[in-house]
Amino acid sequence: MNTLQKKALPLVLGSLILGGCAVNETATVKVDGDTKEQILESNSGFLSASLEIADTKVGYAGDLMKAQVTLKNSSRSDLSFRYKFKWLDKDDFEIAIDGRPWTPLTITAYESKSVQAIAPNPTAKSFRIMVQD
Amino acid sequence: MKHLKILTLIMAALVLSACASGPKISYGDATSVETTTTGFGSTDLQTIAATLVDDLVSFPPIVQMTAQRRPVVFVDKIKNKTTEHIDTESITDTVQTKLLKSGKFRFVDMTAVRAIQEQMNFQMDSGMVDPAKAVAFGKQTGAEFMLYGNMSSIVKRNSSTKDVYYKFTLKLVNLESGIMEWAGEKEIRKTGEKSFFSL
Repeated sequence: MNTLQKKALPLVLGSLILGGCAVNETATVKVDGDTKEQILESNSGFLSASLEIADTKVGYAGDLMKAQVTLKNSSRSDLSFRYKFKWLDKDDFEIAIDGRPWTPLTITAYESKSVQAIAPNPTAKSFRIMVQD
Repeated sequence: MKHLKILTLIMAALVLSACASGPKISYGDATSVETTTTGFGSTDLQTIAATLVDDLVSFPPIVQMTAQRRPVVFVDKIKNKTTEHIDTESITDTVQTKLLKSGKFRFVDMTAVRAIQEQMNFQMDSGMVDPAKAVAFGKQTGAEFMLYGNMSSIVKRNSSTKDVYYKFTLKLVNLESGIMEWAGEKEIRKTGEKSFFSL
């Protein structure tokens, strides 16, 4: 085994581990009532590299909170991913856990798309959107 | 060289432990995207229910109507016009649960009418229940609205691709006036392509 092979073997095995069991990425946007606060979290480069949360809006349908998130694909290729809304009450307890499914979405190159959701009940005071590739 | 062997073994063990193949039972996320086949699946059911409930509770006349009171609704069957066997009651059950939990509507459960009647007959006629504590006949609330709908599909295929289009329509009708107060639609397109190896 030459030096190059010695170096390459662990690299190949390492890439197999990463490629075979890709870690899902999650981004979070939190909007709190009157003071809109956005917390962008990304545990890898997916969001920062290709997908951008361009805008978040909060409104009401009666007493139910309404959320809109505009997602922008800033890359040159189509992006397919999934997103999910989570709703939180005033004490940050999650409402209707697993009440909404992961929803698949595809955005073509340089295009923006808005996704909307309505709170499951009037106790919702903030929301989060999670994006997973 | 010895170090390299150990390193290789560790890496191989990691590969095997992290991505073990073979028969394995595990619990998954019930809300994750399911793409096993192009047939109607859990993601379709959840997406339809979430979209239509959002649409119904945010429709301005409905918002206005439910601002002060919680109208009573009964759910009729959903006609399945697709070529698949789909448990449409499961879709309406999810829709009904979400609407009930939103605090905007109340429901009368027509699937439980017989059981309710049997229980009431037992309370009245068996002689085992204190008449003062038995529930009275003729006090139930009648539904004001009916929720019903259709589900249809268009399936097209060629030698390599299968395209399935689903359309789910839900309607809310005022039983007294016959006026349709709301209708919502959700369309889903699924495309399956045969891989090179399965040809």
